[in-house]
Amino acid sequence: MDTQPLWLTFKLAGITSVLLLVIALPIAYWLVFGKFKGRGIVEALIGMPLVLPPSVIGFYLLLAFSPSHWFGAVIEEYLGLRLVFSFPGLVIASILYSLPFMIYPIRAGLQSLPASLREASYTLGKTEWQTFTRVLLPNCKPAILTAFVLTFAHTVGEFGVVLMIGGNIPGVTKVASVAIYNEVEALNYPAANAYAMVLFAITFIILLVVYSINNRLLRVRQPA
Amino acid sequence: MNKLYILAFFVALLAGCSKPSDKIVVATAANVQYVMKEIQQEFEKESGKKMEIVVASSGKLTTQIREGAPFDVFVSADTKYPEEIYKNGGSDQKPEVYATGALVLWSKNIPEADLKPEALTAENIKKIAIPNPKTAPYGEAALQVLNALKIYEQTEKKLVYGESIAQTAQYITTGSAEAGFNALSIVLSPEMKGKGHYVIVDSSLYTPIQQAAILLKHSEDSPKREASEQFYKFLYSAKAKAIFKKYGYK
Repeated sequence: MDTQPLWLTFKLAGITSVLLLVIALPIAYWLVFGKFKGRGIVEALIGMPLVLPPSVIGFYLLLAFSPSHWFGAVIEEYLGLRLVFSFPGLVIASILYSLPFMIYPIRAGLQSLPASLREASYTLGKTEWQTFTRVLLPNCKPAILTAFVLTFAHTVGEFGVVLMIGGNIPGVTKVASVAIYNEVEALNYPAANAYAMVLFAITFIILLVVYSINNRLLRVRQPA
Repeated sequence: MNKLYILAFFVALLAGCSKPSDKIVVATAANVQYVMKEIQQEFEKESGKKMEIVVASSGKLTTQIREGAPFDVFVSADTKYPEEIYKNGGSDQKPEVYATGALVLWSKNIPEADLKPEALTAENIKKIAIPNPKTAPYGEAALQVLNALKIYEQTEKKLVYGESIAQTAQYITTGSAEAGFNALSIVLSPEMKGKGHYVIVDSSLYTPIQQAAILLKHSEDSPKREASEQFYKFLYSAKAKAIFKKYGYK
C-alpha cells in the first residue's frame, strides 16, 4: 500500500484544523458577544457548508481558482500561485468546507459560560482580550477540543471538493479518500479496502480518545 | 394512534416502490455521452421503445455492474472493462467493438497553429489535463503520446488527472489547465462547440482506442429483454455507424 495519500490526508487535516482554529476563535467570540445587525445572515452563511453538496463548493472554487477568472488571475499574478490542482488550494477549500464544524462547538461553549465569569474579570480590571484568553477560553476547553477534532475528522472525510479541484496529483492533491475512489474504479478492491480500514481505524481511535478526555474534563467541572 | 403511525410508515415505504419501468437502461462511458443522445433519438424513433442513459467513467460503471446495478447494455470506452464483465459471467455474449475513438489536444486559449503535443514542454504551459490513465483509455493513450515523443519526463510535473474524460474537459474549458488531451467526440459535440481550439493527435503515436459494448445478463428474464437486444443490434447498424462517424469515431 502506498502510504503517501494517507500522510497527505492527515497533513491536510492538521493544517486545516490549526488555521481554522485561529480563524474561528474571533468569529465565535464576535457571534456570542458582539453587537451588530444581520447576525442571522452571517450565521446562515457559516452554516452553508453543512447543507450544500461538496460538489457545489468544489464547482465554484474550480471556477474561482482558475486563471481565467479574476480571482485566480490575481493570485497567480501577485503570488505566482495557482490554487487549482495545488495543496494550498485544498487547504483553502477545506477551511471553507469545515468552517461550521469549528465555529459551532466553540460558540456553544462560550454561550454556556455564566455571565458572572466575564463580569468578575472586568471588575478585577482585566481587559476584554485578557478576559477572553485567560478566563473564557480555559473554561471551554472541552468545546474547543471537540471543535478541533470534529474539524480534523471532517477534513479527513473530505472527498467531493478535492475531487473537483485537486486533479489527483500523487503527493500533492491525491488524498486517501480520492485514492480509495481510484482503486475502486480500477477494480482494485483489496487496495481500496486497505486504505479504508486504515482511515476507519485511525479516525475511530482519534474520536475515542477525545471523547474520553472530554468526559473527564466535564466530570471535573461538575463535582458529584 | 400507534397503528396509524405504523400504517403511515408503510404507506410512505411503499410509495417508494413503483412498478418496474420498461425503459432499458444503457450504461454509457463519458466520452460517448453526446453521441449517445443522438443514437437514442434514432433508436426510439425506429423501435418505438424507450431508453435511459446513465453516464460515468467506464471503471465506475464496471464496478456498479459487478455489484448488480440494473443496467441492460454497457457501452464502454475500451475493450478491457467489458471483457472483465464477460469473464465474471456478466454476459453470455462476448463484447464487440462498435467504434474506434480519436485523441485530440485541446486548449481554451492556445490557437491551433501553436497547438501540438511537442509544444507542451513550453514554459507558459503550467498544467496539462489528462483523464486518469489507470481507468480511462484516453488517458492511457495520452501517456503513450508523451512517451512516443520523448517528452514525458519534461511534462510529468505538469500533469493533472481528471477522474473521467468529462472532468478533464471541464479542466480544459475553464482554463484551469492550459491544455489537455481529450476525445474527439467530446470536442465535436454541440455542447462543446466553440470552446477553445483543438488539433487531432497523430494516431500512429498511440494504440488505437477500440471501444466495445456488451449486452448484460440483467435483462435476461425481464420484459426489457427484447428491447435490450434490439438496442444492442442497433448499436452496430449502418445508421448508428453514420452517427458515430459524425462525432469523429472511425
